[in-house]
Amino acid sequence: MDIFNELMGGFAAAMTWQNLLFAFLGCLLGTIIGVLPGIGPVAGVALLIPLTLNLDATGAIIMLCAIFYGTAYGGTITSVLLNTPGEAASAITTIDGYAMTRIGKAGAALTIAAVGSFVGGTIATLGLVAAAKPLGELGLLVGPPEFFALMVVGISLLVALAGKSMVKAVISGALGLLIAMVGIDPVAGAPRFTFGMDRLLDGVSFVAVIVGVFGLSELLSYRKGSATPNVHAPNLRSLLPTGKEWRRSAPAMARGTGIGFGLGLIPGMTGSVSSLLSYGAEKKFSRYRNELGKGAIEGVAGPETANNSHANAALIPLFTLGIPASPTIAVLMGAFLQQGLTPGPTLFTEHSDIAWAIIASLFIGNLLLLVLNVPLVGLWTSILRVPTTILTALILLFMVIGAYTINFSVFDVFVMIGFGLLGLALRHLDIPLAPMVLTLVLGPLMERSLRESLEISQGDFSIFTSRPISAVLIGLGLLIIFSPLLKLRKPKALNEDPET
Amino acid sequence: MTTESVTAKPESPARVAPSVLAGIGAFAAVGVYVLVSSIELGLWTSLGPGPGLFPFAMGAVLAAMSVVWLLQELRRPSETAEGVDRALVIAVVVSLVILAAVMDLLGFQLSMFLFLMYHLKLRGGRAWPSSLITSLAGSVGAFYAFNYGLNVALPVSAFPLLNTIGL
Repeated sequence: MDIFNELMGGFAAAMTWQNLLFAFLGCLLGTIIGVLPGIGPVAGVALLIPLTLNLDATGAIIMLCAIFYGTAYGGTITSVLLNTPGEAASAITTIDGYAMTRIGKAGAALTIAAVGSFVGGTIATLGLVAAAKPLGELGLLVGPPEFFALMVVGISLLVALAGKSMVKAVISGALGLLIAMVGIDPVAGAPRFTFGMDRLLDGVSFVAVIVGVFGLSELLSYRKGSATPNVHAPNLRSLLPTGKEWRRSAPAMARGTGIGFGLGLIPGMTGSVSSLLSYGAEKKFSRYRNELGKGAIEGVAGPETANNSHANAALIPLFTLGIPASPTIAVLMGAFLQQGLTPGPTLFTEHSDIAWAIIASLFIGNLLLLVLNVPLVGLWTSILRVPTTILTALILLFMVIGAYTINFSVFDVFVMIGFGLLGLALRHLDIPLAPMVLTLVLGPLMERSLRESLEISQGDFSIFTSRPISAVLIGLGLLIIFSPLLKLRKPKALNEDPET
Repeated sequence: MTTESVTAKPESPARVAPSVLAGIGAFAAVGVYVLVSSIELGLWTSLGPGPGLFPFAMGAVLAAMSVVWLLQELRRPSETAEGVDRALVIAVVVSLVILAAVMDLLGFQLSMFLFLMYHLKLRGGRAWPSSLITSLAGSVGAFYAFNYGLNVALPVSAFPLLNTIGL
């Protein structure tokens, strides 16, 4: 009953006209980012953080969460109509989605994908509601040593995000931590790596770094020859699936929800892994598995449900434990911190009203996306007809405004340009960017909690092992870090994950 | 044994790409610099870890990983990624640097208008009407949308003449 009352309070806060507007704008912008090939969700969310800097914390996070899961919806549209995934998690949908377009069933594919995304997202959000209270109560038991242990678990996810080379992932992670250390030391107050520049005393702006490394570097690595695609939106009548298509989709959606929800809870797993495994499950369990690859509705319903269920479930470790489960969630966590909110167990004790308003907005956002997505498919496809030169110029415009408005200083625009070049170099050297964003966000929290803990214990490291919660969490973190030495193989889907 | 197999020279081992070597060198140099600087910051105080402890650990990790990467490359050089479109990189970076340098002087509207015109008309080869409309919307339109819609102040020109005409 307590949870129900808190959730109703959250709905009351989320349904003010301002917050509904923020959710609507977030869904709209998220879908556009998802539709545009070349701008991934990490860069997209980072790019739009500055739009929210002047908003109140609830409105800002509602809008950014809507952008985040809106990208998962938008990515489907280009996968189905153009055979080009708008974002990595929708890549597998191209197989049957595009095959359905070729046999004149694009409308049904898009509708089933949108309904599947709604079902997966809503069920995962119900999971967040159920988990929030019990895990949130842990907040009362969390002191600096436990917080440090949580950060160790968070940083250990670097192993899962490593991609092909662990050495390169560690380099990327170390770079992120070093960038995070620029500025005044949080405990002793000593300036570090500021090179005598007063502007660096407050540190390097997180938003400028992320926009540069993920957004500008992506744009700089564009190659010639990307012509404006010729795309036709399906008409409204063709958007309605037949009764048989609904019946065939239901079991695939159920399996996709389970897979996406389960994997979303495991930090380090990305939406791409969920959609790949969901497609695998359809190949194994679907009654119509022989039709997969030739335009089977299950090949769209399963993966699309899975990636949205994953996106919403991945918010559970963030809200309850403060662990970002993927690079995009790490950027989202950075936005929480910028708004003065620390995700994790203390969120529900210190900012319970904001946390429940955001959770309620997830339900509203999923519904908004369902309503927006299908009827407006013509609008989304028209975005794809905008010539690349205009899109590039407009993206650069947003980057400059985004970087400038952080501190209202052109210094941050220069920082963004510098980190754009660094990102380009890292891409060229095949160094994964995901570990950098993870350590950039978690590094300062980890350092602060380590040093506060050791000050409490007067330099005695046993404080981390003598307290049961921190001992268990540190043990878990170390197990993840050293799992490659134990020859625990990563699933094939994780090694081939385009998001890492 | 065929003539071909006798005359064919054994394949020479692939070499480490210069860009990879430069990258490894840069990371190692940063690691060593951080190591030295963090010792100066102080690794331990009477209260526990000092401000240099965490950076020291990261500097050590960065330097050590650079060495491991070098050894891996010497044993089996990795394939280098495709080159970038240099003209695009130079055009974007130089135009951004100029924009950032003059934005406080000329104001957001004028500097962004010129920046967008460069990318749309000069570099992109778009038609005049399309370039002008997009540039005006992205400069003057964005200025008013952000200033009055989102309450986010974008810079106005430092020159009184431009300032008085609303730029």
